[in-house]
Amino acid sequence: MMEHLVPLTRFGDIGNGIIWILAFFAVLVGLSGIVNLFRPIRALQRPTGYLLVLLAVVFLAGFAWIGWFHHQIYVRLPLALPANLAQFLNSHLQMMNQGADFGLPLYDAAAPPRYVLPLWLENEKYYFWFMCYALLALPAHFRMQHPRLRAALHILLAVQVGILFGAANPFADPLPNFFGAVEPWFTGNLSPAQRFGLFMQLYPKMIFYYNAEYMWFHPPLLFLSYACITVTFVTSVFMLVRREQEVEKMGYDHARLGFFLLTLGMLLGYPWALKAWRPNWWWDPKICSSIMMWAIYSTYLHTRLYAHKPFMWYFSSFLGILCFLAMIFTFISSFFFPGEHTFV
Amino acid sequence: MLQDMQNGKKAAGRAGALDYWLILATAGVLFAVSVICVYGMFYYKLALVEQLPPAEKAAYLNTMNGVIAPFIIGLILLLGICVPKRLLPASWLYRFAAALTVSAGVLSWRLDITAALTAVLAASLILQLVVLAMAVAGSRRLHFEKSGYWVRVGSSLIHLGLILFVLDLLLYRHLVLHLFLFWVTTGASVLGMVFCFYASAVAGIFRRRENTQP
Repeated sequence: MMEHLVPLTRFGDIGNGIIWILAFFAVLVGLSGIVNLFRPIRALQRPTGYLLVLLAVVFLAGFAWIGWFHHQIYVRLPLALPANLAQFLNSHLQMMNQGADFGLPLYDAAAPPRYVLPLWLENEKYYFWFMCYALLALPAHFRMQHPRLRAALHILLAVQVGILFGAANPFADPLPNFFGAVEPWFTGNLSPAQRFGLFMQLYPKMIFYYNAEYMWFHPPLLFLSYACITVTFVTSVFMLVRREQEVEKMGYDHARLGFFLLTLGMLLGYPWALKAWRPNWWWDPKICSSIMMWAIYSTYLHTRLYAHKPFMWYFSSFLGILCFLAMIFTFISSFFFPGEHTFV
Repeated sequence: MLQDMQNGKKAAGRAGALDYWLILATAGVLFAVSVICVYGMFYYKLALVEQLPPAEKAAYLNTMNGVIAPFIIGLILLLGICVPKRLLPASWLYRFAAALTVSAGVLSWRLDITAALTAVLAASLILQLVVLAMAVAGSRRLHFEKSGYWVRVGSSLIHLGLILFVLDLLLYRHLVLHLFLFWVTTGASVLGMVFCFYASAVAGIFRRRENTQP
């Protein structure tokens, strides 16, 4: 139904092509990873490096394609109201905004509100997250002359692309929740009262969620930190097997970047939560698990100060692994535990 | 002289051991907070808290606040002990920790727990500002686990941000001040992390600037 307004088919066709190319490269990288993990072959190292570069380039091309699609939504889907309804709406909004700490902007008929959708909505967030990992795995591959560590990084990348291909393809059914919510506005034959009612459902979500400026910082910083945590996880597993300073150094480099991004991302969620939910969100499951993850991460960085002590070396690597598990738990918690983050 | 050196080494050893145990204690409390968080999540799901009437939901929040409060108090007390460890020798630190715990206990008994925690945080804030000023001035009298000017300034800023953040949580009803302090917290933490984690790069930037100045 939305096809005549937004080029959904074109977006899907080209996007699916990108996903197939990614899957093809990922299969090769994964196979090379499995071989190298069990019996390292020097000849495979260089071609795998090229493959990683290609994967990163294709990932970036797909991301640019998502950007193009969102631009189409911005241009083609304004929430425009008839003049008489606009006047009524503004008087209603003025009344609502009285005494409110964070009010809704008044409707401007000359420039009706438009969706400025961030590039990490619904299944797109997996794409962004795994792209960040691919971009981090690339320098990590060239930095470490360690075939087995490289292999582990490659296998994880292949697994992530597999998830994207099989379960979270953002091009197969683009933004189903978003289009499900806005479709009646653009395709339904609505009475003025129904249109007003629907506007009052769509508009607050547009202002406080889709178009929120925090949406451009809070989620991407967290996904970037998730990618860093994944690299730290790989190094932590290797630290449990053997004490190699170089591996620990690479894990720490990613851990400090990840901690920086995680802390900043979580902090930037705070004023947004106040604006959108008021101080009503404490004990929200996602926030509980995020605090837990941050606490583990913080402990990991503290224990690392004493990594020269044998016990602390292993304890620190154990915490690096635990941090990754906590990240997975935190991410999955949105799906299983009801709360303010459930729809994310 | 030899005796002085041996005493100095012993004191440094004691301070290092205390630092180590403080970190382990902090890790322990953070672990307990994590366990409570996970318990809260499962309870939220299984008891269908989301669907409860507002009064019952508020009662759940109050219960959980009560459960976690002792650990948060413990964390604040640990923070209160950690801050002066930069300033005081180990022997004084034990006395300070004891005095702080007793004062907090007396204040919570005579007034209330919020007043006691605010006092601990206010004292920590003042001490941390002193630590930061001394770190910025390049004082050698501060006791840090790691050396390096920017690491010390960064670490001081991160801890200042942490204290301000906890203090700011007590002011959530005053929205404007709350948000203002929140942004100060964020600025201090971000700068602190950059200085601490990327100390050599920051030092390099400042060195280049000095070299390019005529």
